[in-house]
Amino acid sequence: MRHAALATGAAVVVGWPWAAPPYFVFLASLIAINAIVAIGLNLLSGYTNQLSFGHAGFLAIGAYAAAILTIRAPALPVPASLLLAGLATAAVGLALGVPCLRLEGLYLAMATLAFGFVVVEAILNLEWLTRGNDGLHVPAARLGPWAFATDTARYYLVVAVAALLIVAAVNISRTRTGRALLAVRESEIAAQASGVNLAAYRTLAFVVSAFYTGVAGGLFALVVGFLSPDSFDVFLSVDFVAMIIVGGLGSILGSVVGAAVITALNDSLAGFQNYRPLIFGAILVTSMLFMPGGIASALRKIPSIRRLR
Amino acid sequence: MISRASLLLLLAVTLSALPAAAQPGVSDTEIVIGSSNSFSGPLAFTGEQITKFGVDLYFRVVNDAGGIHGRKVRTVYYDDGYRPQDAVANTKKLVEQDKVFAIIIPQGSPPVVATLEYIEENKVPLLFPYQSSPVTRGKRYVLQGMTLSDRSSKMMIDYLAGQRKLKKFAALYQDDEYGKSFLTAFEKDLARFGLKLVAAESVKRGVADVSAQVAKLQAAKPEVTFLVLVPGPGAQALKERQKIGWTDTLMVSTGPLTDERYLSLAAEAAEGVEGLSLWPDPVTSDLPGVKLYREHMQRYFPKNEPNRYSIAGYFAGMLFAEGAKRAGRNLTRESLIASLESVKGFESGILPPITIGPDHETQKQGFWVRVEKGRFKQLTDWLKSE
Amino acid sequence: MTSTALVHVVVSGLATGSIYALMAISLVIIYNATRTLNFAQGEMLMVSTFVGWTALQVLDAPLVVALLVAVAAAALLGFILERVVIRHAISATHFDVLIITLGLSLMLRSAAGVTWTHDEFPFPSFFSNRPLVVGPIRVAPVSLGIIGASLALMLALGALFRWTRLGRAMRAVAQNQRAARLMGISVERVYSSSWVIASVVGAVAGVLIAPVIFLSSKMGLVAINGFTAAVLGGFGSMPGAVVGGMLLGVLENLAPLYLPASIKHSVPFLVMISILIVRPGGVLGRVARRKV
Repeated sequence: MRHAALATGAAVVVGWPWAAPPYFVFLASLIAINAIVAIGLNLLSGYTNQLSFGHAGFLAIGAYAAAILTIRAPALPVPASLLLAGLATAAVGLALGVPCLRLEGLYLAMATLAFGFVVVEAILNLEWLTRGNDGLHVPAARLGPWAFATDTARYYLVVAVAALLIVAAVNISRTRTGRALLAVRESEIAAQASGVNLAAYRTLAFVVSAFYTGVAGGLFALVVGFLSPDSFDVFLSVDFVAMIIVGGLGSILGSVVGAAVITALNDSLAGFQNYRPLIFGAILVTSMLFMPGGIASALRKIPSIRRLR
Repeated sequence: MISRASLLLLLAVTLSALPAAAQPGVSDTEIVIGSSNSFSGPLAFTGEQITKFGVDLYFRVVNDAGGIHGRKVRTVYYDDGYRPQDAVANTKKLVEQDKVFAIIIPQGSPPVVATLEYIEENKVPLLFPYQSSPVTRGKRYVLQGMTLSDRSSKMMIDYLAGQRKLKKFAALYQDDEYGKSFLTAFEKDLARFGLKLVAAESVKRGVADVSAQVAKLQAAKPEVTFLVLVPGPGAQALKERQKIGWTDTLMVSTGPLTDERYLSLAAEAAEGVEGLSLWPDPVTSDLPGVKLYREHMQRYFPKNEPNRYSIAGYFAGMLFAEGAKRAGRNLTRESLIASLESVKGFESGILPPITIGPDHETQKQGFWVRVEKGRFKQLTDWLKSE
Repeated sequence: MTSTALVHVVVSGLATGSIYALMAISLVIIYNATRTLNFAQGEMLMVSTFVGWTALQVLDAPLVVALLVAVAAAALLGFILERVVIRHAISATHFDVLIITLGLSLMLRSAAGVTWTHDEFPFPSFFSNRPLVVGPIRVAPVSLGIIGASLALMLALGALFRWTRLGRAMRAVAQNQRAARLMGISVERVYSSSWVIASVVGAVAGVLIAPVIFLSSKMGLVAINGFTAAVLGGFGSMPGAVVGGMLLGVLENLAPLYLPASIKHSVPFLVMISILIVRPGGVLGRVARRKV
């Protein structure tokens, strides 16, 4: 049953550009990028309870890092620039995570919020590198002789990277590390009593979360093609938080579903203009009222799905 | 064994891969145009005015009179909330899903610039974007809308430094593309007179208090202080000036700010303010085109007050209609661009005669105004920006 | 920078800071009682102020009427939202409620835009904008008025918490909900009251700040500064909210005076991060530092 579901899913993902119009291939790329961020954020907030309102900052770092590498070092193959973007962001994640060890709950949320603002200011100040307010055009990514110049090519790149990162996340969650992270979420005191090094795991969560978001940022730069500080405001960070809460905290499937739902919803409502936030808000309110714990929680209650996990 | 279903599928796929014979967005009965715009976020009010009460107002009139060469114009708008990535997505949607013929009056530099590469690649006309940064110049498929900041700056500095012989200038500017492009332009134009800005302070969008910036500007004792802001902070700056009793500087607003809206927010603090106005007074001007605009607004949207934003959208509609009319019944994207480029001395009854050339700039005008009894009064004729 | 100008800038900062303090207090009141962060606080303030403004336009009444109408609208809005929406999320985690309040904020902002358009409107003030000059000191009455009115409100709230039954009940619930219930305190009543009081405080803040930042659908964004102020001062404590607000307001104003353009906008955030690292509980924090 499970293998059939996975196989169908894989077939849909691989066959999507053949069946769907080009715009929806672009949209699917955006969904996959947001899913990567959501998984990264979930690792931090869903597993170790460190709620972050600054993930747009990590996305920005990864995006600009990848963009600058693509511009300044065009010979660099795209997996390398994505990896470097992820590592650069992870380094910043480490720098942020360590001081944040002493913070909890709201204080941590505010510190991450502040971090998000500071990143955007830094981008504006490093004008010589980022072109500040003028914005940065991102050339097509390259892998050897091939350039990812179409929506479909970029889609496959994004999906390949996303698949890799999802598999990695699933594996992490199954290992000792993953169980330790979950234990931290359930009860920090119990976790510590069982010998879990709280500081190490909380920091690790920050670093891995930043890495994921940084890679997603690199993909974002390549898919959207243009970066500007206006892209990475606090409302984007809040959107990411909404994705993991609507999807379900602590669940990888939830992260993906939450990202898909929020992204697709936002897109489909664009035509409602002034009414868009009204409808979107109403949907958020009703879904949380009727699905406390998010979609993943609600899905878990369906017996046939429960068997899938 | 090839089934009938798969044969049909093959046929469908083959047919859909054939190049479309007709122009996207142009059918026998209608022309479809649209844009990604701000209907939420910091510029939501302007966004709604330029589209629903601007472009759409003009096309209501046109459609009621039978359309352009028998085709009615239909508009499609999507909200991007000033987010560049949403603007990119919306524009793709408009071109690929809604198959619009052209993009009309999108707003804001970051959202517009983000879509430039896509527009040029797909050869879609981007008409009259509502933004003032010169970065959109020099693109085959883009026709400028608002008078660009470097032209505005030239007019303002030529008038103030050249004609009125003022020497000490300062600027209070918004910390974004709009503010920065004017700042750069001012420095360049002042250099022609051997001058420099004596002070420049930046303001973050949405800020609550500008007292520190205004205090610093006052300390530099400028004769003229440029306000490169949006109405809210602009009015705050005027009120702040009143609060500190700083009377010996002339507050001058740039084109996008020069509107009664910012005056009404500043109330009694708006005395003696001057600026460059890009449009005639939409409420009081008796130019024939402006009177017609007011009549149309009264007829179709009586509750909406005339303002410089909706008249900009109305004018954009007018210019599009002119271009489409000249291109004739065989309307294509290329023929539209060509016919717009050929516009010479077009009398709109609103602005001075419009001549568009290969530089694709449709608006190069402005005139000086000064506040009198809560409205901007015209002080000069249309200024030269060449 | 003359000292006259400096005093003016600082007083102006204290005025904006007072508003931040009031915002922070509303957030803290709701948080203390219900352990939820209300993302819609700013939008509720904005809608109440708009309702008060509508009364002004329609009834052509004096400003005081606008204030009363805004307060009444706020109380009603707070009560209804708590009862109809939040109460039903009782089985949800506080993360769920966070998203619910986020949804509400989006709905309120959009509804305001549809009802009143997204335009900005001038709002009359109780206080004059023309400067008051006393020797070398020059201040704007509007700044003093905002500071004074805010302090008065804060004192009134302090009295409420100290000397009334409701106040004591609210403090009990903030300390330990279960124990409070066991003592016979109606926790539901405290929830309702918290939302109503917080909304009313917001409405007063709205009427005070609208003349300065103008009435518009995006006015509610000032609540973000309220969050920052609350954390800066020490979330959970009333005096902390006040100190945090004033500090933030003054910092925001001093930074552009003395610092280069490149970092002046980041200063409030950098300061906040630094304070949180040194004193995780905020300036007046009572929260125990986590020992990791």
